Amino acid sequence: MSERPPPGGRKPGSLPGLLAVVAMAAAITLPVVLLSVGGGVSSHEIARLQASGYQIVVSGPGTAGIDLAHQRVVQIGAIPGVGAVSPTLTMPIDLRGPGGRWVPLLAEGIIPSAYYATLGSTASQVFSAPPNLGDPTDMIHYQNGSYEGPVSPDVLINTTLAQDDHLTVGDSVTLAPAANDSGAVTYTVTGTFNVVSSLFSTSGNYGIFLPLSNLQVLTGLARTGPGAGTLLDAADSIHVGLTGTASTSPTQIDRVEAAIHALMPYYGVSTLSQEASQLEGAASILNGFYLVLSSVGLAIGFVFLTLVLVRRVEAERREIGIRRALGLPARSIAATIVARAVVLGGMGALLGVASGVVTVTLLARVGSAPVQAASRLALFEPMQLIALALGALALAGLASAVAVRRALRLPLPEALR
Amino acid sequence: MTSGATIELAGVTKVYGGSGPAGVRALRGINLRFRPGQYVSIEGPSGCGKTTLLNLLGLIDTPTEGEVRWEGVNVADGSERERARFRLRSIGFVFQRFYLLPTLTVRENVELPLRPLIRGRAERRARAAQLLESVGLGARAGFYPSQLSGGEEQRVAIARALVNSPGLLLADEPTGELDSDNAGKVLDLLEALHRERQTTLIVVTHNPEVARRARRHLTLRDGRVESDVREEA
Repeated sequence: MSERPPPGGRKPGSLPGLLAVVAMAAAITLPVVLLSVGGGVSSHEIARLQASGYQIVVSGPGTAGIDLAHQRVVQIGAIPGVGAVSPTLTMPIDLRGPGGRWVPLLAEGIIPSAYYATLGSTASQVFSAPPNLGDPTDMIHYQNGSYEGPVSPDVLINTTLAQDDHLTVGDSVTLAPAANDSGAVTYTVTGTFNVVSSLFSTSGNYGIFLPLSNLQVLTGLARTGPGAGTLLDAADSIHVGLTGTASTSPTQIDRVEAAIHALMPYYGVSTLSQEASQLEGAASILNGFYLVLSSVGLAIGFVFLTLVLVRRVEAERREIGIRRALGLPARSIAATIVARAVVLGGMGALLGVASGVVTVTLLARVGSAPVQAASRLALFEPMQLIALALGALALAGLASAVAVRRALRLPLPEALR
Repeated sequence: MTSGATIELAGVTKVYGGSGPAGVRALRGINLRFRPGQYVSIEGPSGCGKTTLLNLLGLIDTPTEGEVRWEGVNVADGSERERARFRLRSIGFVFQRFYLLPTLTVRENVELPLRPLIRGRAERRARAAQLLESVGLGARAGFYPSQLSGGEEQRVAIARALVNSPGLLLADEPTGELDSDNAGKVLDLLEALHRERQTTLIVVTHNPEVARRARRHLTLRDGRVESDVREEA
């Protein structure tokens, strides 16, 4: 009859082994975070682009690089197949509410009806109709030449700002190019909009909408008037929406793109598919960069694991010697070391993946606003995580090869001494 | 299993540290022949080459010159893999410090040499259990080595050495770490198993009591055989 063994027979767990697991986990955490967040942001941007209501975008050099924006709306609008032309101008300005506090903001100057027509499907989450900013075409006071006349100093503010500054529709606010009354204009809040992160990212928290011409006047980028010399009427970009088959046929899109290019030879004109492919290219480059960056961590994890395994071989040289003296095949000794490496590497990989997911989740809650926004977009691709885990296992296998070589090269009489 | 083989050392020399003047000649031109089923003791002062001789007989080490023959075949010039396979099937070792694996149970230690040879776990267990019963430790199969006394550890080591039914059992100071009571029990056990299985038993010892039990007494000095005394049956 067998006796019950007293407690405490096995060897205690190994601290270096635990440290190797932690090192591998730390090495895996970095790529999990970088690839999931980077991939998530890229996918989000590509998806946003694909959900746009426009097919062609015109961009000028630097900030407000496009001139004669209103005139170009008319010119581009005359091209067959074009359904909507929306120039936008984004500029930093300051807003003072009834409380007297100046708030720095990002103002988006738009032509309300054109902007709505080129927003695409996600826009329906924000606007159910063209934004309520007076003249839907923004042409009345523009055509007046001096920007005088029946102007409509209307502004839409986001709900976060409205809550923070206790603003409601009908309130008057002061907008100025800098946080003082110089050049300040009084506007009326004609509506609010919800900040949809998928559409505006975090900049939406600091955003307002106003008519393009009003923003041009406010920031000194308006047309200076007939015969006045400089013709600014500036914008950052022009989104062009197509109609009917022109919106889906690559040939027709290319034809319209070429026509716009002929009108505006000094500006960048690209189709949405080109933009998407550029974005995908940039995302691939970034992913490659993340992997290179991560390989530094993985290399450190690999070196640590190798050292731990070699150290274990040194510490267990007698046990290895006994196994070899008994005649156990080299492969069974190697299998023991490889199994140990795979267990350590596998545990490190699992812990690393879990730690990466937890890190991203934490960043989405406690990071700075841009970090939170980016982390919320993180995508954990199962294939990517499996590839990382397999990479860790491959490194563990490589590390074990070094240790196995060491173990099998120990002179047997010395190992038994 | 190669039970019953005649084992020969022919002109065996072992030099450590290179063949130049700095090399240490542990054994010098040894010629010995062991008939099947012999019980041999090897004695001599420290550093005379006893353990080296045992390592060469057990193919743990290879001679610088000469041959180690089993039934006339030189088995020392094979690859490490071939020598390991030969050790596994033909040679059992009992070491002074037992050399049990501390992370394995008594049963697992005894089963260890069977793993490459017998796939069936049940058969391995049965063989190990039989050996453990024969050394009086059947009830302690689930213990770890650290939970045993020195005498018990050495009995487990003997069971492990015999589990593959080797033709040659090599014991290096098998009672060196034991008190006289346990030493006597271990020697009785070795002797009984040697008689029962007709295994060739070669024991390196400093202990006259251990040597007294053998039927052939080799004495080494400075790497040479000083005397080779055989008792009449």
